[in-house]
Amino acid sequence: MKRVIYVILVLVFTALFFKACLRADIPIYKQQSANMNHSYILDYYPYKKKNVTINGVDYLQSQAPVGKFGGTFVSSTIGEGPKTFNPFNSKDNISSQMSDIMYDGLVTTDPVTGDTIPKLAKDFTINGCEYLIHLRKGIKWSDGKPITADDVVFTWQNIIFDGFGNTSIRDSIIIDGKLPTVQKIDDYTVKFTTPQPFAPFIRMLSSPIAPKHIFEPAVKRGKAYFDGFLSTNTPPKDFVTSGAFKLKEYVPAQRVVFERNPDYYIINKDDKKLPYLDKLIYLIVGDINNQVLKFEGGELDEISLQGANVARFKEMEKHGDFTVYNLGPNTGTMYIAMNLNNRKDDNGKYYVNPKKQLWFQDKNFRQAVDYAIDRENMIFNIANGLAEPLFTPETLNSIFLNENIKGHKRDLSISKQLLKKSGFYWDKSGNLIDKFGNHVEFDLYTNAGNTEREAIGVMVKQDLEDLGMKINFKPIEFNSLVNKLMATLDWDMVIMGFTGSPLEPNGGKNVWLSDGTLHIFNQRLEKDLNSKRYPFEERIDYLYTQGALATKFEDRKKYYDEYQQIVYNEKPLIYIYSPIIISALRDKFKNVYPTSLGGVTHNIEEIYVSEE
Amino acid sequence: MQILIYILKRILQTIPLLIIVSLISFFIIRLSPVDPLAELRLNPSVSKETLQRETERLGLDKPIIVQYGKWAKSFIKGDLGVTSNGEKVSTKLKERIPNTLLLTSIVIFLAWFVGIPLGVLAAINWKTPFDRILTVLTSIGMAIPSFFFAVLLLIFAVKTGWFPVGGLTSSNFLEMTFLQKVCDITHHLVLPVTVLFTLSLAGLQRQMRGNLLDVLDSDYVKFARAKGLSEGKVIFKHALRNAVNPLITLLGFEFAGLLSGAALTEYVFQYPGLGRLILEAVLRSDINLVMASLMMGAVMLILGNLIADILLIITDPRIREGSQA
Repeated sequence: MKRVIYVILVLVFTALFFKACLRADIPIYKQQSANMNHSYILDYYPYKKKNVTINGVDYLQSQAPVGKFGGTFVSSTIGEGPKTFNPFNSKDNISSQMSDIMYDGLVTTDPVTGDTIPKLAKDFTINGCEYLIHLRKGIKWSDGKPITADDVVFTWQNIIFDGFGNTSIRDSIIIDGKLPTVQKIDDYTVKFTTPQPFAPFIRMLSSPIAPKHIFEPAVKRGKAYFDGFLSTNTPPKDFVTSGAFKLKEYVPAQRVVFERNPDYYIINKDDKKLPYLDKLIYLIVGDINNQVLKFEGGELDEISLQGANVARFKEMEKHGDFTVYNLGPNTGTMYIAMNLNNRKDDNGKYYVNPKKQLWFQDKNFRQAVDYAIDRENMIFNIANGLAEPLFTPETLNSIFLNENIKGHKRDLSISKQLLKKSGFYWDKSGNLIDKFGNHVEFDLYTNAGNTEREAIGVMVKQDLEDLGMKINFKPIEFNSLVNKLMATLDWDMVIMGFTGSPLEPNGGKNVWLSDGTLHIFNQRLEKDLNSKRYPFEERIDYLYTQGALATKFEDRKKYYDEYQQIVYNEKPLIYIYSPIIISALRDKFKNVYPTSLGGVTHNIEEIYVSEE
Repeated sequence: MQILIYILKRILQTIPLLIIVSLISFFIIRLSPVDPLAELRLNPSVSKETLQRETERLGLDKPIIVQYGKWAKSFIKGDLGVTSNGEKVSTKLKERIPNTLLLTSIVIFLAWFVGIPLGVLAAINWKTPFDRILTVLTSIGMAIPSFFFAVLLLIFAVKTGWFPVGGLTSSNFLEMTFLQKVCDITHHLVLPVTVLFTLSLAGLQRQMRGNLLDVLDSDYVKFARAKGLSEGKVIFKHALRNAVNPLITLLGFEFAGLLSGAALTEYVFQYPGLGRLILEAVLRSDINLVMASLMMGAVMLILGNLIADILLIITDPRIREGSQA
């Protein structure tokens, strides 16, 4: 008997213990999260910087309110942290982010309009194929040496054009097999010449400029040496940089610490040198959950939020010391693709079963699928209401977005009409049958482990089954999926996502050019590169080529508008939604003007701490 | 002399073992459908040339046997190769090994110095309330999953603000005095050590208690008591020496766990140790890094067993006699 009492006591104790660990006070904020959609980002930053010359030095003057010097800003990155601090070697986002802090480029992007504006350059003029860049006089590297045209020419000629490090910039500016040229006019003037007019080039000039006297010895020792040059093991004092902050300490798997560059070329209205902050710290955290804990524990000053956390933070914001900002749709594009491939493999077998080809290559069928998909429902249930429906390949914050494409709601009757037009019919039990009597049944893939895409898959399956199709939804391992999409090409329908660029549609050329390496809906292998194109593919090829050649924004916009319209009509990819970026930032930071294109920290040199 | 020959034999035995371990691990990693370049392939801004270069750089264009041969050759020379990011594997490991060693050796030290006495005490006070309470506590300690316990403690840290949320050092570590640095690291270590300590303490205490109880029940202990020896002498001189043998084997395994035993806890606490590094390497199929860590694990296990066996020879005359026969 006594024993029984003991056992019960222990059980009760354990139960109480676990109860204590649970948060019983988590209400459901569904309404709250849906509201976030309407608190739209202001995109407000009225303080365009000005060029001023003081004692022969060409400074860039901040127009934002004058703040106090001192303080630390702690942000974080998820994952393993930077892999290199060499701006030309970085292949991942975090490494580029870190080197962008340390090395400034000639130009940068206006955080509101997306225009190209000068940074390390004092100004620039574009004349057809010629780009004339004037540099600032009297500004210095962090070791006191002046920044001159030699550095610019060296960076472009000897590092980028010669193919050192990550060659993605070089690859993207080769036009008809030819590279642009760069030429020193005098110590503070540089001229770039592209072989033909090439609009995307000006944005490429935002890539960092390297100090010649530091990088030249490394370049002379060859590419293999350069790959390990300025790695994460390099002592911080060996970095000679031009950015607002310089490296102070890197602790693997823990943090990157930057300290202010005391000799930066941006000054405030009192002519004092910025940045205000003493230190900028990026903690390296392994996953989102830990990041949230660290923010709640006060170790982080800024965090970007997702899903259910947004509602919780919105609630905490009321009595917390931070504000939640809506930064608008992100640059991710999630889509459904159907395999439009009509070719045979080496064994003479079709990649796609001919009876399925008939469906996927039918524009009415693709449109019917589009009309059957309930984007709103997905946004509400999967993205916690924190997303916007997407109908175009350009992201919603893109400056090239075709505003005339309004999209549509789910409408099964339109779907059914479209299918009837193509000879589909329904049998007695409601199954969709094509005109040759085949039941419409195919596989839907996505990468397993991505819970968002898996959830979308389930809902797409349900939506399409309302049309009488039979969908076999198969989430498979990411690498196997990539192999299917890129090599074996034996797939029917897939849910995938790309990261787009809000500023430059030409970044999507690998997807949209019919011989592109990522022409996912009709991937052409090496042997098929000259196979027949669909008429709409030919048109997009033309528009993409012309869009890159035209230099005026208005002209380019026309080409890219038409391509978006074609994609919307032809539906090679059916876009689903764009998640909204939500960030939380502590209120003690002032001069904070989050924008959709620039994020929270686009004006990091103007941000200051004020404890009030 | 006998012992030396024995050790030599054991070391020679490890060579085929290591070859088999490396072969199996290498092939399993390479044959698994993890493509280290899959992310790049689906990135619209990566050109075909870049992909081709990366494939060549990582040696993925060659057959697996050739890849293995290349790896084995440099491994024998003591070169662990480079990671998929081009950093040296050895420097990567060197960054992390001290951190993991610090954590695990503190835990093992604490667990042994608390667990053994507690086990002995529990055995001596068998079936008293003291023993019962310890039994309940250690059962809880053994039953609670480490990652779960770690998460609970993390939430505790966030809610109370008494402890830092993960990591090993504070962000202003560089400016601290030596004493402050020691305090800072201790402050960060408290929670992860608590998790690992609770787990290994529970096991060790139970083991020690069980062994000692077995021995206390044996005839020679009864005889020693009958002889009129004091209780202290009976337990510490006669019983304990015999009860500790299985624990020495356990020590061998603990040694093997020095570098790899704390991976889960490290991950939850964002501790900059080997566990996190290797987990990330496996996810990326970073072959050289994974292989280095697997080989390290194998060597540590073999070494731990060897040390345990040698210690057994020293402490237990029965085994000593046996190995000579």
